[in-house]
Amino acid sequence: MKPRMIGTVVVAITLALVWFAPTVVRTQQAETSAPAGPAPRLADGHPDLSGVWWGGSDIGAARGRGARGGGGRGGARGSTPPPTFMSLYKPEAAAKAKTLSDKDDPTLRCVPTAFGTLNVSLWDVGAVGQIIATPKMVVMLTETYHGFRLIPTDGRPHRDDQPPAYRGDSVGRWDGDVFVVDTKNFTDNTWMSAEGRVSQHSDQLHIVERYRRVDANTLEIEATVEDPEVLTGPWTVPKQTLVLAPFDRILSLNCSGIETQALMDAAAKQSK
Amino acid sequence: MRRAIRTALVWSLVSAAATATAWAHHSFAAAFDMNKPVTVQGTIVQIRLENPHSWFFLDVKNASGKVERWAFEAGTPSGMVRNGFKPGIIKKGVEVTIKGFHAKDPTQNAGMLRELIMADGTVYGMFGSQQGPAAQ
Repeated sequence: MKPRMIGTVVVAITLALVWFAPTVVRTQQAETSAPAGPAPRLADGHPDLSGVWWGGSDIGAARGRGARGGGGRGGARGSTPPPTFMSLYKPEAAAKAKTLSDKDDPTLRCVPTAFGTLNVSLWDVGAVGQIIATPKMVVMLTETYHGFRLIPTDGRPHRDDQPPAYRGDSVGRWDGDVFVVDTKNFTDNTWMSAEGRVSQHSDQLHIVERYRRVDANTLEIEATVEDPEVLTGPWTVPKQTLVLAPFDRILSLNCSGIETQALMDAAAKQSK
Repeated sequence: MRRAIRTALVWSLVSAAATATAWAHHSFAAAFDMNKPVTVQGTIVQIRLENPHSWFFLDVKNASGKVERWAFEAGTPSGMVRNGFKPGIIKKGVEVTIKGFHAKDPTQNAGMLRELIMADGTVYGMFGSQQGPAAQ
């Protein structure tokens, strides 16, 4: 066996062990029974999307397991992984990505993602988010960087007084029991994901999400992402399945990335 | 060659175990040297449960008796809190031992926290409890 091949095998074993290693901490959810029954409904008859939604545990407990649906890491074992946002880059976007590295990740400076690391916009960088739904407005709150989206439900067009924003401008409408959210007017200085995954996009980013509360405990999200400036075609995000968390409020958390950024800059200088 | 393979495999296993809870989180590998474990003992001066990552600061006496300030990066605060690491669980001034991996820049007194060990033997990991009621 050649040394390079040995190294490859060792790395593969390492990654496999990291990926499939048993969870080392128990989550609070294991001690709480999940709600049962059909999806609750608002006064106007539409499904009530309200709740704190996660993938069953927080980061650390499940090592980023995220929502069922793969969190962007691929489909069933043995099958061909579905495309990612970055796999659809045009050549010029792929070339630009090669000039960037994890130290350029905007989330290190407390700037949110445009979409979400685990392919769930509600979560942004983290693995938990909260929805507060009313017949006129759906409010989506992300925990990690104090993010929010105010989404009118009456199918109105996008506003024309909103400057380009990290999280874009969202409008919503009901398609039967599915809540459809259309988001555009993003800035181009965020990434789609955090965790050092180079995933730049343009200000032409356009995301359409479809939220369906399947039952009292389950929320499914499908999404399609377009960015004609950097992608060769639309990206169909793997369907994500979230469950209710056993608590009714997300945390309010501060963000300061000073030490992390300084260490990474220092490490980059060392490697030159 | 066999010895080299065995050594590499052992280090792979050690590395896998060490990073099991640090799944791909925010470029730890870019800032820290996973081949350079570090252990320090000192007094907690500040704990910041903040995004993108939590930080533990402690004063450590070096071999010549001089006090140096060290900083260790841990997990995202939501993960730490929900895994049992409540704010205030470790007070300023307590003696702890921290095991982790040194910053890639050897001039920095900084590292990635792998284990924080209290005087009574309680161990916390980078994402919260490793022993006690919330651990398994």
